[in-house]
Amino acid sequence: MSDFFQLVVAGLSQGAIYALIAMGFAAIFSVSEIINLAQGEFAAMAGLVALSAAGAGLPLPVAMLVALVSVAIVAVVMQRLTIAPVKKMTTLTSIILTLGVSTALKALMLLIYGPEARGLPALPGSNFVVAGVSVRAQDLWILGITLVVAGAVVFFYDRTVLGKALRACAEQPVAARLVGISPRKATTLAFLIAGLLGAVAGLLASPISLTQWDSGLTLGLKGFVAATLGGLVSIRAAVLGGLLLGVLEALVAGYIDSGFRDAVAFVVLIVVLVARPGGVFSRHAQARV
Amino acid sequence: MLRSPHRKAALALTAATLILAGCAEEQGGGDEGTPEETGPVVIGAVLDITGAGASLGVPERDTLELLAEQLNADGGIDGREVELIIEDNASTEDGAARAINKLITEDQVDIILGASRTGPSLAMRPVAESAEIPMISLAANQAIVDGSEWVFKTAQNDSVVIENIVADAADKGYSTLGLARDASGFGEGVEELFNSIGEEFGISVIATESFAPDATDFTAQMVNIRDAGADANIIWGIPPAAGLAQVAYRQLGIEVPVYQSHGIGNQVFLDTAGAAADGLVAPLGRLVVRDQLPDDDPQKEVITAFADAYEAEYGAGPSTFAGHAYDGFQLAVQALAEAGTDGQAMREYLEGVTDYVGVSGTFTMSADDHSGLTAEDLVLVTVENGEFTLIES
Repeated sequence: MSDFFQLVVAGLSQGAIYALIAMGFAAIFSVSEIINLAQGEFAAMAGLVALSAAGAGLPLPVAMLVALVSVAIVAVVMQRLTIAPVKKMTTLTSIILTLGVSTALKALMLLIYGPEARGLPALPGSNFVVAGVSVRAQDLWILGITLVVAGAVVFFYDRTVLGKALRACAEQPVAARLVGISPRKATTLAFLIAGLLGAVAGLLASPISLTQWDSGLTLGLKGFVAATLGGLVSIRAAVLGGLLLGVLEALVAGYIDSGFRDAVAFVVLIVVLVARPGGVFSRHAQARV
Repeated sequence: MLRSPHRKAALALTAATLILAGCAEEQGGGDEGTPEETGPVVIGAVLDITGAGASLGVPERDTLELLAEQLNADGGIDGREVELIIEDNASTEDGAARAINKLITEDQVDIILGASRTGPSLAMRPVAESAEIPMISLAANQAIVDGSEWVFKTAQNDSVVIENIVADAADKGYSTLGLARDASGFGEGVEELFNSIGEEFGISVIATESFAPDATDFTAQMVNIRDAGADANIIWGIPPAAGLAQVAYRQLGIEVPVYQSHGIGNQVFLDTAGAAADGLVAPLGRLVVRDQLPDDDPQKEVITAFADAYEAEYGAGPSTFAGHAYDGFQLAVQALAEAGTDGQAMREYLEGVTDYVGVSGTFTMSADDHSGLTAEDLVLVTVENGEFTLIES
């Protein structure tokens, strides 16, 4: 039985990272119906910026702050330069656009930071064993920070006026504009939030799974799958989806074959898109038009 | 109807022009194919510079660039400049096959180095064989050269590594082994080799787990390895995966000794594994313990000269993989110097290499052995306080 819990712990830790990425997808899609395929790149970039800042002698917390701010700026600039100028944005257009941005960002990271994978030092704390299950301090940091961040994002979208205004943009764009909400500004803010979420994911994952120029690809794909479990609009479902996907991957790798680990996400994606395209956790299981 | 003959004539004329042009081009190509006595000698390399093999490919690229620069500064090969063309296969098999095709058809290279890892090397092998161009792989798996005519390699064969591990395991009285291996070409056939080499010592593999070369979470594999309860375990992979696996091994509290392969000989492994690496045992080339070698070691001079030059250029010591690239480059240069740019002559020269003292070992090739290294070319190494440490035998 300790094996089972060991796998679950590893799965939750990995799943929390997926959850952070998935929240980034949902944060943008729920406001503007844009699918941002560069979401994973935000994570890789945060890790690389923090690594080079720490390498330049900055203390770890400062290096992480530098990374958060840089990625937030990149996310906003990306929105201003590539998303804002498009007059008639559709989900398909956004996919093509952000795929291009994702490729460009990857190339840029490869040029600046080189191809080799490196990891940030782990956050403080010592590893321990409970009932035969070995837990890394970093696992607790990852889960704790993810839950706090998720709570904050949910609170923002559900309880604050600004957050509700953001959601209104997606649900009733014309009405939102009539009452004085600018969909453009709303999208910029959504990108800022998504950038920060991606950066947090990248910083937390780096000590365990290392960072390199292309690590955003897998993270982005897994995060996207997790987000589709909530129909891409629900933050809560994105978090649940991420954790579930992480645990499912760990259990499949442990009990069936580790070779199937990466297949799990795609099987889940196909099943969700065929059976419940509106999201598994949503009450109205309909495809949004 | 009247136009028809004109059109035919025009067609015929066009065809004739094309054929003539084709002939001319073919002739031109033929000229370049035959050995020339002047102009640059072209060495092509296909390396895993990005992707899962980056920690191998990058130092290999750096080594080749350094050596080519040195060679040209010294006047090249018989006064002919050496042109080095390096391609990145992005650690993929199809990338490697595309790259070698480009090197052969577009760049018309005289000899090919690479790839860094087994999978891409295996993908290049049939291309080199059919184009009849000598290729020197820098990767480990014996399958790269088994039965090959045109392919050679400089990394120690996996079988040679396994002989060392089995001998040590037999000394220590282990009889069951657990194996966590790379799921790509590097790990193919490793379990079978352990069982066949271990047979006479009563050693066998009782559990095998595999991991993707770019895997980052090893909990599942290590949980299963722990449950198998073998006398000792083997992690068979390359950095950074091998380092992360080592961390997971210690983190899950597995008490029995762990062996690693010769794929871990670089700083990336030590950085990734950190304190978890302490106490592991791995057969590695002498390069990583160069400061601990006795002065009468026949390789010491070659290794020290290379390591000093590399460190002066790049600010850090060379890895095992840089050493494989060094040997590959030197063998290629020797072949070009002794046999010229004729493929068949180079092939025959390489097959006849005897007692070439390199960085990865002392090479003696033959028609049956295109690797040329033996169990003697590895030493057992452990890690103490984050440094590779020679185990005194």
